[in-house]
Amino acid sequence: MSAPVLETENLVKVYGRGQSRFDALKGLTFEIHEGESVAIVGKSGSGKSTLMHLLALLDEPTSGVVAMDGRPVSQLKPAQVSALRNDTFGFVFQQFFLNANQTVLENVILPLKIAGVSASERKRRGMEVLEQLEMADKAKNKANDLSGGQKQRVCIARALINQPTVLFADEPTGNLDTATGEVVEDILFGLHRDRGITLVVVTHDDDLASRCDRRLLMQDGLIVVDDRGETAKAAGAGVGQASREGSRQVGGHGKHAAPAPLDGQPATGRDAGTGTETGEGQA
Amino acid sequence: MRNVDVVRTALGNTMRSKTRTFLTVIAIVIGAFTLTLTSGLGAGINKYVDSMVAGFGQTNQIYVMPGMDPSQQMPTNGEPQEYDPEEAAATGEFGMQMLTEDDIATIEGIDGITDVEPIVFVTADYLGTADGDQFVLQSLGFPSDAAGMEMEAGTTPDPQAMELTVPETWLSAFGTEDPNEVLGETVTIGLKDMAQQEQTVEAEIVGVSQQAISGVGGSPMPSSALNEELNDVQTSGLDVEQPKNYVQAVATVENLEANETAIKQALSDEGLMGLTLEDQLGVLTGIIDTVTWVLNGFALIALLAASFGIVNTLLMSVQERTREIGLMKALGMGRGKVFGLFSTEAVMLGVMGSVIGVGLGVLVGVIGNAALVNGPLSGVAGLSLYAVDPVSILLIVALILAIAFLAGTMPAARAAKKDPIEALRYE
Repeated sequence: MSAPVLETENLVKVYGRGQSRFDALKGLTFEIHEGESVAIVGKSGSGKSTLMHLLALLDEPTSGVVAMDGRPVSQLKPAQVSALRNDTFGFVFQQFFLNANQTVLENVILPLKIAGVSASERKRRGMEVLEQLEMADKAKNKANDLSGGQKQRVCIARALINQPTVLFADEPTGNLDTATGEVVEDILFGLHRDRGITLVVVTHDDDLASRCDRRLLMQDGLIVVDDRGETAKAAGAGVGQASREGSRQVGGHGKHAAPAPLDGQPATGRDAGTGTETGEGQA
Repeated sequence: MRNVDVVRTALGNTMRSKTRTFLTVIAIVIGAFTLTLTSGLGAGINKYVDSMVAGFGQTNQIYVMPGMDPSQQMPTNGEPQEYDPEEAAATGEFGMQMLTEDDIATIEGIDGITDVEPIVFVTADYLGTADGDQFVLQSLGFPSDAAGMEMEAGTTPDPQAMELTVPETWLSAFGTEDPNEVLGETVTIGLKDMAQQEQTVEAEIVGVSQQAISGVGGSPMPSSALNEELNDVQTSGLDVEQPKNYVQAVATVENLEANETAIKQALSDEGLMGLTLEDQLGVLTGIIDTVTWVLNGFALIALLAASFGIVNTLLMSVQERTREIGLMKALGMGRGKVFGLFSTEAVMLGVMGSVIGVGLGVLVGVIGNAALVNGPLSGVAGLSLYAVDPVSILLIVALILAIAFLAGTMPAARAAKKDPIEALRYE
């Protein structure tokens, strides 16, 4: 069984105060293991983006703990958190956030530039990753001149260039047509399968969610379903499967339809103490 | 991010919106240009004054003249003055107080003064060339000015020899344009003695002088020996011994800076007054400095206006690039580096503005100076209206960079504060 790469304990996020107080997350406790592919699904406002931001260390929880490799992140200084993001995370966004005026290569090497890698090394690794994504011939093109699918490939290349352990994808196919979206999905799951990259995907797309090893269904700031269904391609789940056994939070084990609401036991924390609120709230 | 990448990225970013950058830079250029020009003007004119100072002679000299006694300068205050035969003898033309031999001895006796050269007024009538032509001598230069004289050819006269220099404007008197041709020529100086008898003294031309701003070198200048000889001739002719009087004396001082106050005090105790060159020119340089600073003030106002242009440009840039900033922060760029990136952008604008502005300022200054000094103002020898002062140019560039940096801090801080989540939120 692999170690949890990310874990949360009683994660709470509150926006505003008084009348305008909004509880985006109401106490989540769960783990994401190395090599897992996790889809966070749910309606708008269910808290899935907030959860991803907290997991990706882009935001700080109101209370509760996010731990990376067993170390609580709140103990780290902002600069260390930045370095951690730069070093271990990759990001793919729905809107590509490519710098339109720069070339494909320049866009791809941005994380390395931020990390302070030398120019020649940046170029070498940039071309390498572009080649993997079959975009090497576009390296000198302006990012603006690409099609949507190509842009998302550039984004994936950018997310991969620092050889991340966790890849966060926020609606990676949301802006793409079905065919292109599928290609992008294939790339993401190929990376997951071949390199064991932990994949955390926020999506509305049932099809995309169903390809993940595990689906967290969010509703009103709570994980209402933690579905470790086997619908994900059996072949693709090599690493992910190993992490499943022995976990106490296997309530959703064996469930197939990914986002089926309330069809399983509510996701709970590892122990009753921290998980009660979550569990009872939805039962 | 490496510093070199910060600089490169900042430069690239300023080039993204070329028109906006161009307009912002123009505002800085105007400030930098004006500042370069005005400070160069100040430097140039001060340089001119300095050369004037040099033209007056050595700077370790004090000009000593009789102390001004207001009651004596103002005879109309009605009260009768007691008659003092010695003072009366020392009253020269126009009732001006003159220095007596005793005074000269007193000055020589003051500590720190190594040498005193009394200045005598010699009024000569004409200068006769070897060809027999005679030219009116309106005035003669003072031998004490020799040290600061700029020579077109030859040397300054030897104080012990019967020598003199002539200004280059006098070359026509010798029928030549080549200053070297008059060197070695013997001339006669004609003047009247006390008995109104025409006397002549012969002297050799050893140098051709250029006229300096101070007027030094603008008229024929005898050596000390020649001047004394002329004075002797001038005061001879009567059987009566004439008391020797001097308008002023030039005292050479050891270590002027250290001894200045003490010597002035000693002189004033003796009823004399000492003025250094600085005293004489202090007012002038003071005025030039004031005018320069007023002009610099206007240039600084232009720069202040330009700094708001920088603030404006960068604020717009930060606004427009919210997402890019958010992305960079999400990808692990720290606040400090984001701040650094945007303030470097501001400094880049400053670099462009100052380099172009200072360059233009120097160019216009140098060309304008050359055009004026060789054109309409060519009559004024040694005139310089503009001087390139590397130190002040470096200071100007540093100042502009500092202003640009300061202007950039507010937008840069705003960029650094951007929340990556806010910035990356989909619209």
